[in-house]
Amino acid sequence: MTVAREAVLLPAIFLTVGWLGGFRMAESVRLVPPPLVTLALAMLLVGCLARAGVLQPERLMNSRRTALENLSGLVVLLSLFAACAQVFNLVTPETGLLHVLFSLFFLVQLLTTLAAVRSRVLMLRGLAVLLGSAFLIRFVALEALYSTDGGTLQRVLTVLMEGFTLGALEYAPNAPVTGYVAFLVLSLFMAGLILLTDVAEPSDLPHLPASPDVPELPRSSSAPGLPESPTLPQLR
Amino acid sequence: MHPMFRPLGLVFACAYAALIVWTYAAQPQTVAEMTGGLAAEVGAYRIHQQSFDDGLGFFRRDLFEEARAAFARADPAQRDARTQFYIAYSYYRQGWGRVYNDDALFKQGLEAVDRAIALAPGGRLVVEDETLGMSTADELRGELQRGLTRDASDLNPLRVFGTRK
Repeated sequence: MTVAREAVLLPAIFLTVGWLGGFRMAESVRLVPPPLVTLALAMLLVGCLARAGVLQPERLMNSRRTALENLSGLVVLLSLFAACAQVFNLVTPETGLLHVLFSLFFLVQLLTTLAAVRSRVLMLRGLAVLLGSAFLIRFVALEALYSTDGGTLQRVLTVLMEGFTLGALEYAPNAPVTGYVAFLVLSLFMAGLILLTDVAEPSDLPHLPASPDVPELPRSSSAPGLPESPTLPQLR
Repeated sequence: MHPMFRPLGLVFACAYAALIVWTYAAQPQTVAEMTGGLAAEVGAYRIHQQSFDDGLGFFRRDLFEEARAAFARADPAQRDARTQFYIAYSYYRQGWGRVYNDDALFKQGLEAVDRAIALAPGGRLVVEDETLGMSTADELRGELQRGLTRDASDLNPLRVFGTRK
């Protein structure tokens, strides 16, 4: 991992995600700050990333690094947190029942991931599927359903859905450019996470002493007390 | 790797983060508003004087649409209090009527004068212009708000003898 990636590239990617994650264009341009629930979801996602090994905070900040290096690592962590919050802000509808449903879905999904996923690759795959699905539901399905230039059948369907939910299912459609920006933001976010994995040189890691509770494993291939594995006769 | 890379990266990240926070706070609608707003933050914003003078000329001849177009050209980022004051004044003069006022124009005037007040240092804006009946943004704001209010004085027949300021 180069210094350039840690000091410039990753903050630039994550801050751009944080910036454009709130971009909405309808009749006018709006920049929507993250609601509180997305901050909680972002905290959970950062936890998931750390547990799965995508993020290695001890490589970004440790006692062996200089103050400047630690500050640089802190910037990466903070910008990652902001990006996570804005990614959830982006794929979650802003008001009504849909906002609550999406937020609950993300919360349960992240808790499940936090409990179960330990592999970096699986974590990245799972996150891509989660965010990709949410993107499709919000920017393809919901936008098409609630678009202002829809036909009569579409309007009847929308009114029926709102009627069944007693008006709780409200959604404000955006201009198509919002969807394109959202796609760009999600792609950037995933690229940033892939780049994040190898964020520091192994030499940056502190050399921690071995724990006295855990005995060192013998160097030989077989454990003590067990017979040596017999060599297989060579086939002729 | 160059030793200055990391400090430069930190400076870049801090500046970028500050820009992001500013855009979320200011909510610029156009690129002109964004660049003008940033220039105003560092005290480098200047209006286009020629366009402003054109606008003033149109305004004094009661050509309000033309005046607003010229003022908008002079202050594309809407960051100059005096220009916004004249824009608000043009809405007032165009919307004023002896029998009734044009509410839509008055509302736009109110938005413009609010922008002017927000931009003026300490919220106090005085424009020295003897052709104007009101020289402060507060007077103009009060007049616009009174025009939008519905009350018994609207039915006063003496209202037709009122004068446009």
